[in-house]
Amino acid sequence: MPVTVALDGRGAERGARAVIDGARAAAANGLRLRVFGDRELLAEIRELDGAELIPAAEEITNADEPVAAVRSRPEASVVQAAADVAEGRSEALVSAGSTGATMTAALFALRRMQGVRRPALALQLPVPGGGRPLLLLDVGANTEARAVDLVQFAYLGSAFSSAVLGVERPRVALLSVGEEQKKGSADVVEANARLADAGGIEFIGNLEGRDLMRREADVVVTDGFTGNVVLKTIEGTAKAVADAVRAAARSGARAAVGGTLLRPALGSLRRQLDPDSTGGAILLGLRGVAVVGHGSSGPDGIANAVRLAARAVEERAVDRTAELLERSGMTRGSMR
Amino acid sequence: MTADELSRADVLEKVREHLSSELEIPLGQISEETRLREDLDADSLDLYELVMELEDTYGISVSEEEAAGIETVADAVDFVAGRLGAAA
Repeated sequence: MPVTVALDGRGAERGARAVIDGARAAAANGLRLRVFGDRELLAEIRELDGAELIPAAEEITNADEPVAAVRSRPEASVVQAAADVAEGRSEALVSAGSTGATMTAALFALRRMQGVRRPALALQLPVPGGGRPLLLLDVGANTEARAVDLVQFAYLGSAFSSAVLGVERPRVALLSVGEEQKKGSADVVEANARLADAGGIEFIGNLEGRDLMRREADVVVTDGFTGNVVLKTIEGTAKAVADAVRAAARSGARAAVGGTLLRPALGSLRRQLDPDSTGGAILLGLRGVAVVGHGSSGPDGIANAVRLAARAVEERAVDRTAELLERSGMTRGSMR
Repeated sequence: MTADELSRADVLEKVREHLSSELEIPLGQISEETRLREDLDADSLDLYELVMELEDTYGISVSEEEAAGIETVADAVDFVAGRLGAAA
């Protein structure tokens, strides 16, 4: 039975065309889609095999306050899509619209997993050289995190990495300012101590920011404020370096020849690091699956977000996460 | 659900059961006097979930301001009972 995904068809920065083409690519993989959005702009959805368009007249944008907007606008596309999952017509939620609105709608409709204090937003970061991406969480669901939250994030990330990304024993690290156990904020030091004594996951200790891309860990845990700053810093630095390389390659005749020779290799690297390749961030710690697409997702990004959500459903990511938390004594009540 | 079908004690039981289940705290540790933030370590997300549960269960609507005024178990129960005109 193919997985049915509720896709919020509003709010994508690249517009309805990206949503339609993304839906077409995902439907071509045999996935079923229920798309919520503008009746006119998304009319082509009706022509796709396995896709259905459900008109939703309202949109929640980045300018809206997410909690108030989600609570007061049940007709909004993302609220309808989240309700569709909660009511069992779809099995996962995907949106490339407002991150805050998507997280709030998902949280309110799907609810937190029993025993989870705070859900976390997890993102696969492509690593230069190809191969398996790094899973970074939290990248923005919670600006503050207590030690118990960081501990739970470690389990949420490990379970997802194992269930959905197929990593046999994911190496889990805490992001900090030093490798030593006592380095970092009070919450990081406490989380390190708790994780060092805990079982059920492969905790390898602290990791410094400069080692993120060195493939020393499969899952890196931090609070949402730090995670979001790290993410944006990586994106900004990568763009600045790419621009500098491009400028250097145009700086003279000899450089231009070198640039031409390097172009295929650099193109391949750019594709490896393209955020569209990983399909967005997944909100872990809910009783259902919710994926937040990258704000500037193109058709590939939207299709990959739908595929990621479907894979999480197929691999029973929610159930397996709950089982790991319970088995390891890492539910909220057990850690009190 | 109408006021005739509902007593304040029913609402109290519903609130205690919800908090016990969601926060993983024994039912016996939750009374009317229990403060949600200070005694149960509930945060804003926990309070929103409680409010949504009450809205869904009793078909009432709770504004942001009203939700912010709920500080104890008794506050939540009184709010619902008052809105429904439940019998004491």
